[in-house]
Amino acid sequence: MKILVTVKRVTDYERKVKIKPDGSGFETEGMNFVPNPFDEIAVEEALRLTKEHGGDVVVVSIGPNDATQQIRQALAMGAQRGILVQAGELDSDAVARVLQKLVEKENPDLVLMGKQATDDDANQAGQLLAGYLGWPQATFASKTEGLESAEEKAQKPGVKVADGWASVAREADGGIETIKVQLPAVITTDLRLNHPRFASLPGIMKAKKKPIEEIPVASLGVDITPKVRVLKYEEPPARLAGVKVADVDELVNKLKNEAKVI
Amino acid sequence: MSDLFNPSEEHLALRKMVADFTAKEVEPQAEHHDRTGTLNRELFGRLGELGLLGITIPVEHGGGGMDAAAAVIVHHELSKSDPGFCLAYLAHSMLFVNNFFHVSNDEQRERYLAKVVSGEWVGGMGMTEPGHGTDVLGMTTTAVRSEKGWVLNGTKTYITNGPDAQVFLVYAKTHGRISTFLVDRTCPGFTTSKPIKKMGMRASTMSELIFEDCQVPAANMVGEEGGGLVHMMRNLEIERLTLAAMSVGIADRCLDIMVRYGRDRVAFKQPINRFGQIQRYIAEGYAMTEAARCLVYNVARSVGPEHHNRLGSDAAKLFAAPVGKTVADYAMQVLGGAGYCDEYKVERFYRDAKLLEIGGGTLESHQKNITKDLTRKLD
Repeated sequence: MKILVTVKRVTDYERKVKIKPDGSGFETEGMNFVPNPFDEIAVEEALRLTKEHGGDVVVVSIGPNDATQQIRQALAMGAQRGILVQAGELDSDAVARVLQKLVEKENPDLVLMGKQATDDDANQAGQLLAGYLGWPQATFASKTEGLESAEEKAQKPGVKVADGWASVAREADGGIETIKVQLPAVITTDLRLNHPRFASLPGIMKAKKKPIEEIPVASLGVDITPKVRVLKYEEPPARLAGVKVADVDELVNKLKNEAKVI
Repeated sequence: MSDLFNPSEEHLALRKMVADFTAKEVEPQAEHHDRTGTLNRELFGRLGELGLLGITIPVEHGGGGMDAAAAVIVHHELSKSDPGFCLAYLAHSMLFVNNFFHVSNDEQRERYLAKVVSGEWVGGMGMTEPGHGTDVLGMTTTAVRSEKGWVLNGTKTYITNGPDAQVFLVYAKTHGRISTFLVDRTCPGFTTSKPIKKMGMRASTMSELIFEDCQVPAANMVGEEGGGLVHMMRNLEIERLTLAAMSVGIADRCLDIMVRYGRDRVAFKQPINRFGQIQRYIAEGYAMTEAARCLVYNVARSVGPEHHNRLGSDAAKLFAAPVGKTVADYAMQVLGGAGYCDEYKVERFYRDAKLLEIGGGTLESHQKNITKDLTRKLD
């Protein structure tokens, strides 16, 4: 089977992001960039699925030329080739439209994406893509066996594919539900689907020679007019210092009249 | 994109991978193995899966196909969390694997290379003796030709991986000259002492190697008879460079710990990093770490199988080893009682750092070599 996996270049979630003084965006100077962690899980799942069922993994990133680093990392993990769509910052809808075009070109059996990117946490592109394609979707893919299971240690896929259908355990509000979707489909991955592998040194050396196709976004003929306009970025308000109360009566009084929560 | 510290995109990818692996897999286990004085054999095997155990071995021989700068990167990153574990890696990958590959023949590579590159076997190297450390030419271990091969007698000491390794590269004298031998743990007449207890680097193990009429097959002499001195000297460069890189890793980590603590710890109603006394430790610690980093990575560019830089590798270790120790000491002073206790990990790095002023060449041996080499340049 052929699997298309997305990998977004995002700011390192372990470092503090600084907002530009005018609120127009983030300071990128000195920032460390990493693959979106949810996308790494998608890459890992794709590699496990193709190991079990045969086939190829194609990695797609939409972003600046430097995003080739994140594509190379997925290639070093074991994916076969990469596609970079050269573009500036796009909103989720534009991303879904660009991906739709690539899917029509590549004809994969499955699109695997992180459920959201850790920079803007929009959680929309996968659902929109499935909508535009008219494909079934299974979001927040997880694993019924759990991350400490023998299946995980043996690097078995959590998504079960058989006879043109994928069975997906997904994290819903009340627990885990398992749904079946007919392929081709879009599946988005949650945190507890797998532990992504580290790229090995031989993998890194091989990735150097794997092809990455570069496509300017304008050449795709896709409408990328933003539907979401960012007005301003600002820090969340700083947390105020707490207050000490003398007794229970004062506490109840404050909760009732100041916080207005009871 | 390339810079002094990441000469190519592959070097940068390697650094990211090792840093990621170190943070997720190495850091959480470091304290336990320091306390128990044991090698984490399973984690060591993971280094094999990641292709790091044969990092300097050409790809066509199953290795990583990378250079001294790459070896420096791995030691630097691993030592930010667990210098003791990194020392076991160094003793295996630099002292055994790298040395062995460049001096062995095809038949010997066939027998050993796959085992040590995969991590199925742990390797070590035997040079130092109870009476001969820096004065290495005075070694007294001997190898005498027998009908079937060689008979070794003598004792090596302070051998990292001694209790854990299956195979050792051993230097012994044949007709007064130093030769190199492969000694398997199973060779008749070979034993190792019980583990030697030590101050730091406790996540790697150490013992004596004892040869009592030890029978070594003829096929296990490496290179020419009497060629051992050249093998030893050639490999010392990358050994010293990677030991120096470990010191930079220790300094980096201790600096990080003291910068955070200086910001968070309040005394006299203000963060302690407002005090000049604390600022001196942080600023000088940073400056000396940067200097050591630049020297080590600069020397790495001129060390390899084809080119040599003994002056550089001696200078790198002579300068970097005290930096790791000093910055660990500074961090402990900034943290005070908290640094002396184990919670902030500084005391472990402090104990580990000292070894680098002794092992793989004492500071005094570097001073001796540098003076000799500089003086010889006048001729």
